[in-house]
Amino acid sequence: MAKRILIVDDEPRYLRLLEANLRTEGYEVVTASDGAQAVDVFSNQPIDLVLMDVMMPKLDGFGATQRIREFSNTPIIILTAKGDEQDRVRGLDLGADDYLVKPFSATELLARVRAVLRRAQPAAEVGGQSRFFTHGNLKIDFARAEVWKGESPVSLSATEYRLLLQFAHHVGKIMSSEELLTSVWGPEYRSDKEILWVSIARLRQKLEDDAHSPKHIVTRSGLGYLMPPTEE
Amino acid sequence: MDAQSAAFVNELLTVINGRDDTRMIVEKFLATLRREFVFDNVAAYLQDENSGTLEIIYARAVGRAKNAEADAAWGEEIANRVLTQRQLLIQEPEHISPSENRVHQAYLLGLPLRTGRSVNGALVFVRFGGPVYQDEHIQMATLGAALLSILFERRAWKKMNDELGELRQQIQLQEDFVSTISHELRTPLGFIKGYSTSLLREDTSWDAETQKEFLTIIDEEADRLSLLIENVLESARLQSKTLPLRFQPLRLDAVLRDVTTRIRSRYKDMDVSLDLGSAPAIHADGVRIAQVFENLYTNAVKYAPGSPIFVGLKQVGQSLIVSFMDRGPGIPPESLPFIFERFYRVRTEKATGTGLGLYICKQIIEAHRGKIWAESTPGQGTTFFIELPINQNAIT
Repeated sequence: MAKRILIVDDEPRYLRLLEANLRTEGYEVVTASDGAQAVDVFSNQPIDLVLMDVMMPKLDGFGATQRIREFSNTPIIILTAKGDEQDRVRGLDLGADDYLVKPFSATELLARVRAVLRRAQPAAEVGGQSRFFTHGNLKIDFARAEVWKGESPVSLSATEYRLLLQFAHHVGKIMSSEELLTSVWGPEYRSDKEILWVSIARLRQKLEDDAHSPKHIVTRSGLGYLMPPTEE
Repeated sequence: MDAQSAAFVNELLTVINGRDDTRMIVEKFLATLRREFVFDNVAAYLQDENSGTLEIIYARAVGRAKNAEADAAWGEEIANRVLTQRQLLIQEPEHISPSENRVHQAYLLGLPLRTGRSVNGALVFVRFGGPVYQDEHIQMATLGAALLSILFERRAWKKMNDELGELRQQIQLQEDFVSTISHELRTPLGFIKGYSTSLLREDTSWDAETQKEFLTIIDEEADRLSLLIENVLESARLQSKTLPLRFQPLRLDAVLRDVTTRIRSRYKDMDVSLDLGSAPAIHADGVRIAQVFENLYTNAVKYAPGSPIFVGLKQVGQSLIVSFMDRGPGIPPESLPFIFERFYRVRTEKATGTGLGLYICKQIIEAHRGKIWAESTPGQGTTFFIELPINQNAIT
């Protein structure tokens, strides 16, 4: 089956350039012209590889990469301008697999695409990755970074959302305070337990029917916290 | 500390943290302090950053020497000593004679004003004819000097912060310019590189139509790149005022007719209606003004293809108003405020502009002390207006 590649750029002529060359190699191509559209297109069909420009209106390439990484390991190649070493490092840190420096030649583009696809698992085999996550009456839309409690949307701060993602990505696993603090706030906050307590209490206020007997984020005294597996 | 003293200190702090300007705060602060600590004159000196000498920044006569003006003691000498000795100093009159005018019998109390650990000023209190400063007076005055130090330090920080902010903004503008210009120059280069290497690929063959499409893009992008370089240089010269404008008597109706003839020969199917009222000649650079008109025409061709264009000239008061109206798709309201900014482009499928055209127009019109602006209704069209003053005697 032909590999499907999503190309994201706000310059129509880049889209045309990438598309024309990729099609000669037998790839299927879908396009998006900004980061927000890219996440939408990505989450609606199986994609084997993303070619992502950085400077774009609405959501930029970094934001889109980060959003996609919250629910998918599909390889992403970012397209950056020459000399922007910081951009390349940032892109790789956010989970991009490779980068391509503009201006690039058509043959280099195709070689990078082949190399990254060779290393990656086919989209069909990855499995277990979905745009939506549900846990009881709690629902997360990773692509839009939206959270719902039943039918009503829940407004979370950026930190609260990142904390919730930690639980959603590790259902059934007890996570220690240190682990949560390090991954959400950073290593320098490792022992700042109070900040975690406050945040968990606030998350429960927003997400739980009864914050005193939580169903989504449960305390395991002396060990940490977990999102218990749902009984189905 | 008893509750009453605490309340007083709190009152002083409230004044110090007030929102008034520094002068008013000092004024209110010393008036409050005087309820618990009596003095006739007060003066605050701060060290000048450059010369190192003391500069008087606040002085007030509130007691016995109210009418003595400059004759009374203001403690400049003790202030200098406080600065060098970095400590509190008291000075009493050498001989006291009851017959002498009290204003000549000054009891001085000099207190250091500090920034961090260094002394950079002095606060001097003066009592004419006493009484001598008791311990509790000195403590109250010391508290006052400490609180004023905080105020002055805060003022210095704020000033530094403002300067830093301005500097940062300048650097930011410069960096933005450099990063935008390199992005703008790289974009056409990227297309030229990408499409030419596509055509050069040996592992595939492109049909004739695609080859033509790619070559056209390469050609257009090469043009865009050279236009961009030209525009960047020109707008830099306009900005630095090194592009000389040749002002001479100019009839705008004649310029508009010339430009229109040229444009009609370039775009054969263009539908232009001229409505040129009678207008006096103005002082202007004919080449530059024609450049502005041409730019507005080519913009109309680019962004309102197929639309008729109505060009008008009329006199309104002491100004001439030129208008270019099209019935194109209009400019989105969110873009309208930015179209005259450097490198701003309304993105369309076939945008090939440099983002400098209207910016240059604005620079040229402003060099003529005129104004240029646009009004637009999406779906109905856009009108560009240029207003040029008739009386331009001020321009040389």
